[in-house]
Amino acid sequence: MTFNNILSKLYPTFREGSIILAVALFIAVVFNLIRPAGINIFGFSSAALIREQQAIIPEISLWEAYSLYLKNKGIFIDARDPLSFEDGHINGAINIYPDEASFHASSLKVKADQGFIFITYCDGPQCPLSKETAHELILRGIPTVKILVNGWGIWLKAGYPISKGKK
Amino acid sequence: MKLRNSPRPFIPLFALICRLTLAIIFFYAGVEKIIHPQEFAVAIHNYQLLPDCVINLLAIFLPWLEVLIAASLVSGIYGRGAALLSSLLFVIFATALTINLVRGLDISCGCFGASSENISWLYLARDLSLFCMSVFVLIYDRGWRYFFA
Repeated sequence: MTFNNILSKLYPTFREGSIILAVALFIAVVFNLIRPAGINIFGFSSAALIREQQAIIPEISLWEAYSLYLKNKGIFIDARDPLSFEDGHINGAINIYPDEASFHASSLKVKADQGFIFITYCDGPQCPLSKETAHELILRGIPTVKILVNGWGIWLKAGYPISKGKK
Repeated sequence: MKLRNSPRPFIPLFALICRLTLAIIFFYAGVEKIIHPQEFAVAIHNYQLLPDCVINLLAIFLPWLEVLIAASLVSGIYGRGAALLSSLLFVIFATALTINLVRGLDISCGCFGASSENISWLYLARDLSLFCMSVFVLIYDRGWRYFFA
C-alpha cells in the first residue's frame, strides 16, 4: 500500500473530524452568546482570578445582619452540613455547603442583581465553612457576600427567629 | 442484530461496546461543563499550560465538542471522525495530566466539570485506557449497518 493510498483512505476520516470540529465551534459560540450565563470568549484574566481568590471577604455584625433580615434585604446562607441545617437554622436561610455553591450560583446571581446581600454563617468562631462558601460564591461572580462569624451561635443566643427542617 | 460469518465475529461487537461507552463518558463530561463554563475555565487555568486569551474559548468549545463526539459515536454518523477526535483528545488530556503530575501540582482534574476530583496517576491510566478504546473504535468499528443491514 503506497503512502498516497493510506492518505486517500484517511482523508474521509479527517474530513469528518473537521466537520465535527467546525459544528462544535459554531454551536459553542452561538450558545454562549444567547445563554444568560455566557462568558466573555476572550475575557479570561488570571490576574483578576487571583485577586478574587485573595480578596478579604467582609464580615457583618449581628445587628446589621438582623437589620437586613427585618428589611428583607438579606439572604442567609447556612454553610453547615444538611443534618445541622435540618436541626435548626436562621429563618429563611438556604443550605449551601461550600462544594454545592456552583449549583446555586445562577439563581443567586439573579438575587444579587436585585440588590440582595448574602450573609453566610456556620457554627463556632473558628468554623471555616461560612468563609469557604462565601469564597466559592464570590468566585462565581456574586459580589455582595458577607460573613456572620459564629452566626448560628450568636443568632440563637439573641433569640432571633429560627426554623427547623429542610426549609 | 446479527453477527456475520467472519474469522473474528466479536471484534465489531466489542468495538460497538467501546463506541457506546465512550459516547456515554463524553456526553456526561460535556454536559457537566456546559452547565458550569466558568468553573471549567478555572480548571483549565489551573493546569497552567495555556495563555489567558484562549482559556474561555476552550471552556465553551471543548464541552460542545465532547457532546457532538458523543452524538456521532451513538448515531454512527461521522463515527470514524468522532473516534479520531476522541483519540486526539485523550492524547491531549493525558499529556496535560502528565505534565502537571510531574510538576507536582495538586489541582482539580476538571474532567467532569465542577464535580471532578484532584488529578492523580489513576486518572492518567484511565485516560490511556479510553485512548486505547478510541483507537480500537477507529480501526474496527463498522457502524450500525454491520449489525442491522
